[in-house]
Amino acid sequence: MELVNTISQGVLLGGLFALYALGLSLVFGVMRIVNIAHGDLIVVLAYIGLTVTEFLGVSVIVAAPLILVVAGGLGWVLQRGLFEFVPRHDPLIPLLVAFGLSIILQNLLLMGYGADPQKLSLGRLEQASVEILPNLHIGVFSLIIFGLAVAMIGGLQLMIYRTGFGRALRAVSDNEANAAMLGLDTRAIFRKAFVIVMLTVAVAALLMAIRGNFDPASGSTRLLTAFEAIVIGGLGSMWGTLAGGVIIGIAQMVGAQIDASWQVLAGHLVFLVLLFLRPSGLFPKNDG
Amino acid sequence: MTNTPLTGGRFDRRGFLKTGAAALAATGLARPALAQSRTIKIGMVMPQTGPLAFFSEHVEFVLNQMQKATGGVLNIDGRQIAYEILLRDSQSNPNRASEVASELILDQEVDLIIAAATPETTVPVSDMCELNGIPCVTNDTPIEPYFFARGGDPDVGFEWTNHYFFSGQQSAGTLLKMFGQIESNKMVGALWPNDGDGNAFAEAYPPLFDSLGYGLSDPGRFDMPLSSYAAAVSQFKADEVELIYGVIPPPEFTTFWNEAAQQKFQPKAVYAGKTVQFPAALEPFGARAEGLVTEVWWAPVYPYASTITGQTAKELADEYEAVSGRQWSMPLGFRHSIFEVIFDGLKRAQDLDDPASIQEAFNTTDLTTVCGPIDFRTGPFPNTCTTPTAGGQWVKGEKYPLDLVICDNLTAPEVEIERQVQPLTY
Repeated sequence: MELVNTISQGVLLGGLFALYALGLSLVFGVMRIVNIAHGDLIVVLAYIGLTVTEFLGVSVIVAAPLILVVAGGLGWVLQRGLFEFVPRHDPLIPLLVAFGLSIILQNLLLMGYGADPQKLSLGRLEQASVEILPNLHIGVFSLIIFGLAVAMIGGLQLMIYRTGFGRALRAVSDNEANAAMLGLDTRAIFRKAFVIVMLTVAVAALLMAIRGNFDPASGSTRLLTAFEAIVIGGLGSMWGTLAGGVIIGIAQMVGAQIDASWQVLAGHLVFLVLLFLRPSGLFPKNDG
Repeated sequence: MTNTPLTGGRFDRRGFLKTGAAALAATGLARPALAQSRTIKIGMVMPQTGPLAFFSEHVEFVLNQMQKATGGVLNIDGRQIAYEILLRDSQSNPNRASEVASELILDQEVDLIIAAATPETTVPVSDMCELNGIPCVTNDTPIEPYFFARGGDPDVGFEWTNHYFFSGQQSAGTLLKMFGQIESNKMVGALWPNDGDGNAFAEAYPPLFDSLGYGLSDPGRFDMPLSSYAAAVSQFKADEVELIYGVIPPPEFTTFWNEAAQQKFQPKAVYAGKTVQFPAALEPFGARAEGLVTEVWWAPVYPYASTITGQTAKELADEYEAVSGRQWSMPLGFRHSIFEVIFDGLKRAQDLDDPASIQEAFNTTDLTTVCGPIDFRTGPFPNTCTTPTAGGQWVKGEKYPLDLVICDNLTAPEVEIERQVQPLTY
């Protein structure tokens, strides 16, 4: 029973990690940018969520569509106003730009909102749970997070492999110069891609903000696990990212069962072992 | 000469070359004639940004109070001695705290340093002062974590540093006494992370709990931030824990507290140091914060007054609420009283140009501040002093969402008890 509980908690935790990682995975997969500011973008959107819900005085669910629109707009502005001007022939340059963006965002948030921990509330739903088996309680909100992670990955997968835009996206990601030669408007594709990335970021942000407190410095801690989930899963593979998240989640929960000091360490150890055994991840993108 | 207005500001290279040279001139060449009229430089290190930033919310208010009350000048034996405060940000990072303390000592040549808020600030700053022979006064870190994280020897102590706050013994005593006010199976669940406080608690408390008849369920030292506390919750459930004794900051407590609810873990009393003391950190929980217990290091009901402004504790809290529009919280008394201690020491120092003389004055402090009596000769360790510490519980408030009521005064008999602890309701 103990084991079932441990594993189910781990799997659900993995959904959260995958959700954090999704946008990062997309930006890297399509634009080849290692977006160090990803965690901070999540926090920025959490604050936007906070501002919108407080200003309108409505619940998160009602405000969500508006927040998504704002997030999409922000994505377009970021790509159009910043990343479009960043030369990408050397991966170090966009990485440094993202690093700078991360520092700027953190400090702007600190100036604007102060360092007090903030939180979005969903009322009683946050503490609600269902008893699946005797003595096995699963948090309703954790289930929602996991469900949304699966749905979003499924949706993105469909978009990438079943739509015209997805085809264009894959073409650009495989070889930007060739794609441009074939008449694809790569700039427009990148802008749209960043809008989609920010939509996933907004969902992750709202769920994070409901699950726990956040403050301007929370971003960087989300980044590391997100990276590990992506690398374990295989760069560019959406389902792989989910698998990576779940593996880290289970490793952490099993580790914590041994001793609380093992929780974080176990996640990192599993990451190192898998990196050693499968350097290209569990589900590497086909080169063909 | 060295009178550059730099409270809070950051210094550029040219700036400190200039003052560095000027300070050198002041301390070295000009000693006999100018020594008594120079400006006293007070370094101050606080976590103004980062996860501990909420410890600094009163700093600006208190600095303004000091400016208003003294005009930046201390009256010492009839002479007007100007002082300036050089505030530096530790960014909630011990390495950074050490760095800025060393910059204050070596580049700014401060006469003394004050610091507060968690071992992550006070320990590195005190160590840096001890190393360089600069007088240092700190507070707002429980005495044992402060002393033992510095590798202190209770027989020897430290030469250059003084510290006052509650001791873990006081806090545990008052908390366990409050736990005792409600009916329970006396099983305590520990949430002690792998940091200064957590390790000190894990070392000091198990024998104490045992001697008072409390059982302990300890999942181990964990690294924060922790993405899930599910493992600890399931261990607590298996061990039938009814009381929680933790020391984790607000984001961690939120994660724990929500997972506890999801897993139907419903303890009767909950304490989480670093979180439960701060109404701002508790407000996001809404009604679920009502009933949490805390040790109380300072409150408006404390029967003490400031030696600088003459305000009672209540008046100090009221002024803060009026000026800032925010609810008072416990660090306010300590931010204020640290200036009472150092101004008192500076006034009694024989020779303001001799660090040892300033230190000697601090060592012989005997002053009743807004936080209570402070005398560094009283211990528990050399050059430390405990302040009166009561116990309290958060209840639904009138003006603000939460109000603190005093439930125990084991180590602060002068503070009146307002009511008994009530078990948490679900």
